[in-house]
Amino acid sequence: MYTRSATALRLEIEHALERSFPAALTPAQRTIRETASTGIAEVDALLDGGLPVGAISEINGPASSGRTTLVLSFLAQRTAAGQVCAWVDADDAFDPESAAANGVNLRQLLWVRCQKAGGLVRGKQAVKPWTQLDQALRATDLLLQAGGFAAIVLDLGDTAAEHARRIPLATWFRFRQAADRARTSLVVVAQAGAAQGSNAQGTNAQSSTALALQCAAMSPVIAGGTVLRGFRFEVRNERQRFTPFAVGRKKPPASVWPASSAWDTAGLSDGAVTFERGRVLEMENSA
Amino acid sequence: MSQHLYACVHAAEFPSQALLRLRPDLQALPVAVLEGRAPLEQVCSMNRHARLRGAATGMTRLEAEALASQNEGLRLLPRSLESEAAARAVLLECAASFSPRIEEARQGTACATVLDITGTERLFGPPQALAERLRNALKAASFRVSIAVSANFHTARMLAAASRGIIVIGAAEEATALAGLPVALLEIPDDRAETLAIWGIRTLGELAALPEVDLIARLGQSASGWRNLARGAHAHTFQPIEAAFSLREFCEFETPVEQMDSLLFVGARMIDSLALRAATRAMSLATVAVDLALEGKRAHRLTIRPALPSIDRKFLLKLLQLEIAANPPPAAVLSLTLTAEAGQSSKVQLGLFAPQTPEPSRLDVTIARLKAIAGEGRVGSPVLEDTHRAGSFRMTAFTALNPAEEEKD
Repeated sequence: MYTRSATALRLEIEHALERSFPAALTPAQRTIRETASTGIAEVDALLDGGLPVGAISEINGPASSGRTTLVLSFLAQRTAAGQVCAWVDADDAFDPESAAANGVNLRQLLWVRCQKAGGLVRGKQAVKPWTQLDQALRATDLLLQAGGFAAIVLDLGDTAAEHARRIPLATWFRFRQAADRARTSLVVVAQAGAAQGSNAQGTNAQSSTALALQCAAMSPVIAGGTVLRGFRFEVRNERQRFTPFAVGRKKPPASVWPASSAWDTAGLSDGAVTFERGRVLEMENSA
Repeated sequence: MSQHLYACVHAAEFPSQALLRLRPDLQALPVAVLEGRAPLEQVCSMNRHARLRGAATGMTRLEAEALASQNEGLRLLPRSLESEAAARAVLLECAASFSPRIEEARQGTACATVLDITGTERLFGPPQALAERLRNALKAASFRVSIAVSANFHTARMLAAASRGIIVIGAAEEATALAGLPVALLEIPDDRAETLAIWGIRTLGELAALPEVDLIARLGQSASGWRNLARGAHAHTFQPIEAAFSLREFCEFETPVEQMDSLLFVGARMIDSLALRAATRAMSLATVAVDLALEGKRAHRLTIRPALPSIDRKFLLKLLQLEIAANPPPAAVLSLTLTAEAGQSSKVQLGLFAPQTPEPSRLDVTIARLKAIAGEGRVGSPVLEDTHRAGSFRMTAFTALNPAEEEKD
């Protein structure tokens, strides 16, 4: 009896279908890319493990959309592993107390506070926002070149989107190369763009980012009565480089995650509190 | 008991050598050093270029200025005792790396040091080889010296003062070697020197040939000592000194310096010297204090503190540059002093599975650059204060030590 091996059979089928489906039965080789956990199970599940290492991740969203909490949780994981991180604060808005409450080891965090440099314009002290942004970019460049930092956060959260979008593409490209070489996770926190159009990016770093997340606030978590225990945030995966293209996907994948208040040591879990959608409307009306 | 052996290091024209040691830009120019109170200053020292252009010891300021107007490029510098003290410390320390027993033998403006090199053959080879190594080490520290090796202390001293290069005298050859040297080397009082001149005694060989009893009868008991010195037979009790180990360099500028480049040019030489001296003791520089004397009797102090002690010249110079750029002196600089504290050389145990951290020396430069961008006190690690007041924290220096190492500290 004539038998053929599975390999020979597969090759025969692939050869027959070559014109329509190249390598139809051979699974595409997938490179395992290093990721680092954000410390939030829902977000890690959305991102297949966490934020990419040696690449740029962009986390966009308006104020109070959970973007800083997400980044602080990521830094807490990194510093807990004995690694050092840096926070480049373009607008001097970082709050060390919140960071410590979120579990970041501050001794392993280098904080660069860019300062407002004023110039005299017609006799008045004028603040140039670009100066602060310039300081932040130069500081990020230096830190990436120095190497050894597990994560560098470039916080442009309070920088106007029109200023952030003026950062040249060449800068992002250089950062991407440097982050790849130093195996550093460069996390850019930015606002949603004012003129978003088809994309929802806060900066024009799209072509260089490996991951772009869009954050949004959903609802507060009420622990009965008028006691606020935390918030629920939504995070949407707008773009993830190196992910296989999903056929038929119309909306970007999203995930909802809860964040408790800093004083709430017990943390949030779905069984412990009730998610009251109606309460949001009530609070908004009263406001 | 083995025979003693002495090596004398003679640095002639020490005032000018001390001033030019850290100033390579002036080394190729004719330079004369003036001492005394204005307007009665006199030339006390000069380099070879100045001597070739006619400068001589004892010239008054007017004569020296007249010579400077004829010879384009002759520089007149005031004598700096502080520079000489710093240079002397460097010379002694360099010599101390060849022998622990050192005695100073000052001769006029020259700086002479005698080393007891008895028994060093197995370490450094024959005396000739030791002398060459010693001369090279001093040359690296920018000193031009002559060296004489002899079994007699004073013979080595006088030969080093009267000759150039390296001379090694064998046993019982002292008298022959000294015979041609002038009597002036003995530092005889003027009236006695005049008597000897009247007798026609000009060299040590002629003095050694005189009968001892008759010489004492005419010139007194001290003549016996001079005769023994001339014969190379004068005994000497060695009195070793113990030079204190201090890493200090001083440089005084002839005119107030305003440009940072000029400061760094001199600072680089000083850091080189400090690093070399620390390295000879298997140590590194832990901190470097930079004292700038400014115009108007003001002072400006800067401190460089690398995360780990280092002797990397480029790294320390970069830190110095960034520190001066961050805290520029408010007025022109008159003199620059670098005082370093030695520390143990850094030892970092790397581990295959240890978390990746920034390289300490590179991180220092990065943080200094960040401070230049963001401002002093705006780069570091935040530390929360033990208080209920909201938003209370202070900034501390950031160190990239592993948590395990920090706990050990």
